[in-house]
Amino acid sequence: MFFRIVHAPIFLCFFASDRRHMKDPTGNWIAEPPSYEPIVAEGEGAFLRIKKQKRMGLPNASEDLSSEMEVDAFRRLFPLRYFERHLTESIRPDARPLRKARDTTIALGAVASADGSALAKIGSTTMLAAIKMEVMTPSLESPDEGCIAIDFHMPPICSPIVRPGRPAEAAPVLSKQLSDTITRHVNFVLHSGMINLKELSLVSGKAAWMAYLDIYCLDADGALFDAALLSAVAAFSHLQIPVVSLDYDGKIVIMSEEQKEENSETKPVNKEKRKLTLSTIPFSLTCILHKSYILADPTAEEESIMETLVTVVLDSSGQLVSLYKPGGSVLVYTSAVQDCVALTRQRVKELQNILDDAISGMEID
Amino acid sequence: MAAKPGTASTTYSPVDPTHKTKPSIFTDSDWVRPDSRGFHQCRPAFFRTGAVNSASGSAYAEFGNTKVIVSVFGPRESKKAMMYSDIGRLNCNVSYTTFATPVRGQGSDNKEYSSMLHKALEGAIILESFPKTTVDVFALVLESGGSDLPVVISCASLALADAGIMMYDLVTSVSVSCLGKNLLIDPILEEESCQDGSLMIACMPSRYEVTQLTVTGELSAPNLSEAMQLCLDACAKLAQIMRSCLKEAASAAEE
Repeated sequence: MFFRIVHAPIFLCFFASDRRHMKDPTGNWIAEPPSYEPIVAEGEGAFLRIKKQKRMGLPNASEDLSSEMEVDAFRRLFPLRYFERHLTESIRPDARPLRKARDTTIALGAVASADGSALAKIGSTTMLAAIKMEVMTPSLESPDEGCIAIDFHMPPICSPIVRPGRPAEAAPVLSKQLSDTITRHVNFVLHSGMINLKELSLVSGKAAWMAYLDIYCLDADGALFDAALLSAVAAFSHLQIPVVSLDYDGKIVIMSEEQKEENSETKPVNKEKRKLTLSTIPFSLTCILHKSYILADPTAEEESIMETLVTVVLDSSGQLVSLYKPGGSVLVYTSAVQDCVALTRQRVKELQNILDDAISGMEID
Repeated sequence: MAAKPGTASTTYSPVDPTHKTKPSIFTDSDWVRPDSRGFHQCRPAFFRTGAVNSASGSAYAEFGNTKVIVSVFGPRESKKAMMYSDIGRLNCNVSYTTFATPVRGQGSDNKEYSSMLHKALEGAIILESFPKTTVDVFALVLESGGSDLPVVISCASLALADAGIMMYDLVTSVSVSCLGKNLLIDPILEEESCQDGSLMIACMPSRYEVTQLTVTGELSAPNLSEAMQLCLDACAKLAQIMRSCLKEAASAAEE
């Protein structure tokens, strides 16, 4: 047995009976028809009751079914058509132009127990990234290099889809994409590395930093990758590496304030390396491709209706870092991809400014 | 060359060796709390509803360094495997971020706190108002700064109110740590780590009813009654702060 749950106003909008099933092929009644009038739907049928107050305010919405339905019902029943009607007017349901990203904010130092942290918000999508520095023994192949471990989490608080014990499908995919973007970027040191892994070295061959970057999605409302990457780079720019020294057992310990002043026999191993130099920073923009439209920075609702996403990652000097187009029903012309790259180029400038503002705001405090 | 967290068991976080001597201070008769509060003084509490847009209701709470987000989903369809139930179900989950604790953790679910949260709330919620369905209360501790569970409980009841779930009253919760002869209200992490005993109360202040009371460790009988009174008074004050937070949110929504 199958049931389908239908929202009551929508049901009332369409429920109708013209008593067709009560007639034989020649048009005679099989049984005596009831004395009352047949039920006629609000949405279609002879007696249309147009809800004028809640009507969609679009000029060409005249003959269509949509003009006779409540906006909310139309949105739920025909989400794609609802969106397409907006798109023809070059506006999105949240009153944004098609190619405009949502308001973006960054707050640095949100978590006191971490060495570096940042909270990034794009619209209502919220990401909290924090870095904890731990010490490891570097591998034999690269005794002078540290390591970065990136993990992306979607806790059950962020979305009604995620339940405890069942991790979201998107989380490991995004985790991989983020770590590819950030650490691949790291590897091309010669070109334009974001972080030089050699800066994470403490004692050659003995000890190096392992930077654990954990990104938590606190509110999932589309463009998760963009927000996660933004919070990650912001956390790296906020990172303050603790001053450490080597104790007699060959372990790395934190230097206390007194020790620093006393200038005792223990010497700090990383006096000059308190901050990582971020030479270039990757930023990204996700766009939805639908027919010939390009929608920048989609919300969760838009992502669920129109499935073809393109994510472009550029670094601050405008070089392409990575580009994702994970399937989707729309095949992309190269011109559309070029448009996406151009949009990302504009967005990178915006994001760079937002990040710079956040950093300078921290320095004043 | 990013390593997966699983392979990184060989890493350790560097510690400050001078920190180990600190707990001895607590046993002295006249000492000040690390954040220079009075013994019977709570940390300033901050609440904000509507922290998570995709949830039916949510709240963020900040007590000093303790930062918590709670999302409420539902009432929604119960799991298929669940038996038929005349009254609604409450499902609670508390988890920590990996960076919540001073030493990096695994960020897994905290089963003990999940069940304690469930027990603290279930008495206050009118489960009859949503038969056959489930309300999910999910908490994430962003940063652990002591008194985590009481903060989670208070924040969860605020999130439930934000979601419009019917309750008899807001549930507020406060804990007291006993160190030697002293009772410290709303302890921070450092104080909790060297406490002799502790008491936590979750209550509905307007009805003057206790939904949960936990006592652990050593607590003498006179201390116990004093601690309870301290908690109940603090709970009443906390309820005022939470109420004004709800009122603010409601009046902001009207405008």
